[in-house]
Amino acid sequence: MARLPRSDLKAAQARAGYLFVLPSVLLYAVFVLAPVIITIILSFAYYDVSFGFFWVGLENYERFFSEPRALTIFWNTLRFAFLAVSFNVGVGLILALALNRAMPAPLLYFFRLAFFLPVIIAAAFVSVVWSYFYSFDFGVINYYLSTLGLPRVPWLNSSQFAMTSIIIMDVWKNTGFFMIILIAALQGVPKPILDAATMDGASPWRRFSRITLPFISPVLFFCIVFASIGALQVFESIVILTSGGPGDATRSLSIYLVDEAFSGFELGYAASVSVVMMVLILIITVIQLLGSRRWVTQ
Amino acid sequence: MDNKSSLVWVDRAIIAVLVVMGVMMLMPFLWLFSMSFRPAAEAYKMPPSFLPPSLDPANYQAVLDSSVPFLRIYWNSIYVAVLSTIGQLITCTLAAFAYARLRFPGRDGLFFIMLFGLMFPAQVTILPIYLGYAQVGLLNNPLGLVLMGLTSSFGVFMLRQFMRSQPKELEEAALMDGAGYWKIFWRISLPQLKPALSALAIITFTGSWNAYFQPRALIESQNAMTLPLAMDLLRGYMGQGNISIVMAAMSMAILPVVLLFLVAQKMVIQGVTMSGIRG
Repeated sequence: MARLPRSDLKAAQARAGYLFVLPSVLLYAVFVLAPVIITIILSFAYYDVSFGFFWVGLENYERFFSEPRALTIFWNTLRFAFLAVSFNVGVGLILALALNRAMPAPLLYFFRLAFFLPVIIAAAFVSVVWSYFYSFDFGVINYYLSTLGLPRVPWLNSSQFAMTSIIIMDVWKNTGFFMIILIAALQGVPKPILDAATMDGASPWRRFSRITLPFISPVLFFCIVFASIGALQVFESIVILTSGGPGDATRSLSIYLVDEAFSGFELGYAASVSVVMMVLILIITVIQLLGSRRWVTQ
Repeated sequence: MDNKSSLVWVDRAIIAVLVVMGVMMLMPFLWLFSMSFRPAAEAYKMPPSFLPPSLDPANYQAVLDSSVPFLRIYWNSIYVAVLSTIGQLITCTLAAFAYARLRFPGRDGLFFIMLFGLMFPAQVTILPIYLGYAQVGLLNNPLGLVLMGLTSSFGVFMLRQFMRSQPKELEEAALMDGAGYWKIFWRISLPQLKPALSALAIITFTGSWNAYFQPRALIESQNAMTLPLAMDLLRGYMGQGNISIVMAAMSMAILPVVLLFLVAQKMVIQGVTMSGIRG
């Protein structure tokens, strides 16, 4: 059999290449790329199934940033993200430091099970369980508080406690994820350096801040970025625990977006809310990236 | 010597504290499981129990007998999760092979655009998908959830990276021998991908099983629901009186993921931490 000329081979390879990527590219274009573009276009328009489509320029965005309610929700989202990220990563780091020691295999299996199981069970499922834990009259938590002689806490029905309750559940659910990632990072810290520092009489805190922390800082940074992206999109845990209430005390951007889009049919406005969300995530990621130069070891 | 024994003592104390915390982490699961076996009439009896008082399946029967089509909903969850997983295994391996092994004009540009998809939250794509589905009758249809889950930027990215870490001499030799691209893909590249494929399968299945935002936006009718939507529904529907029954439904709903985790703990943890997909 004669060998194909080089250019034919190239063309054949290109043909094969396009065929192999075709399914994923098509699906991606239909379900991600086109929707993102349409959302951005919609955010500059008024759109209604019966009234049609009109350009309104920046009106949707002006409305968002001048409506007190929208701003409350915007701040709720940021506040939730800040607290959830701090505690998730902070508690995850403490757990990782505590767990990073020699122990028998069954014990290790138990810890992985206990701390990671909440991570992989849907928030939609565990939030229902927690809603019973938090219930004022019949809740498990208030039962134990009152047996200790402490007052019952209105976990979900007071605007003072609702956000805290959601954050507690969020940390219970997600901190194991960061713990696992940070344990892997801690295992990469060279033991000889730590041992040498101990010999020289460095205190545990000094060893942590001067050796361990710089060493794991890239991973810690990844955890913070990652936790922020997730927290800014928070949805189901709040929907199920409080539906955004009481009032708007726990309403997040995702919930507001869905409310506006699917009950108000204000599609253009809803699209602008989702663009705000996307840009917010982008800005926060960029700020973290810039800030990281000060503390992350390259 | 003295110093050493005090260190051991500290280790033990820390581990003891961790064990207590670990048990507390598991409390919600222990509670829901034991609750699912409590007679509905005693659901609110205090103190709460964390071990099943009996193994009477009455509450499980009650879920199946209720007016919420639980088995249908369960089937929808299986259908969406299994088909999305198979779909992603196919589309992502095909694309990863082309991006990692073949040369064609525009390859790197396409790959870059695909990577872009990692940064768009579901909230930015849902409105147009909703409007489009309304046009073609895919609202309230589990098939709609399958279609949008058939590929993922993450899957393509992960498999491509994995394939690039594998030697490509075998593929090149096969090409020299005149083997077709399909044959090379099927016989040589695919078997190399096995470990990455099981990770992707676990991630996709769990992600789909747990998904809430998109199903909630696209599905209203009970017959088309998936399990995460149904839990909320059951809770409202059964009212405050029947936690035991809701928890029986919950035990069944979390069973596949819990089993997967118990059997393949290491692989699940690797897969999930690799992708960052959480519940």
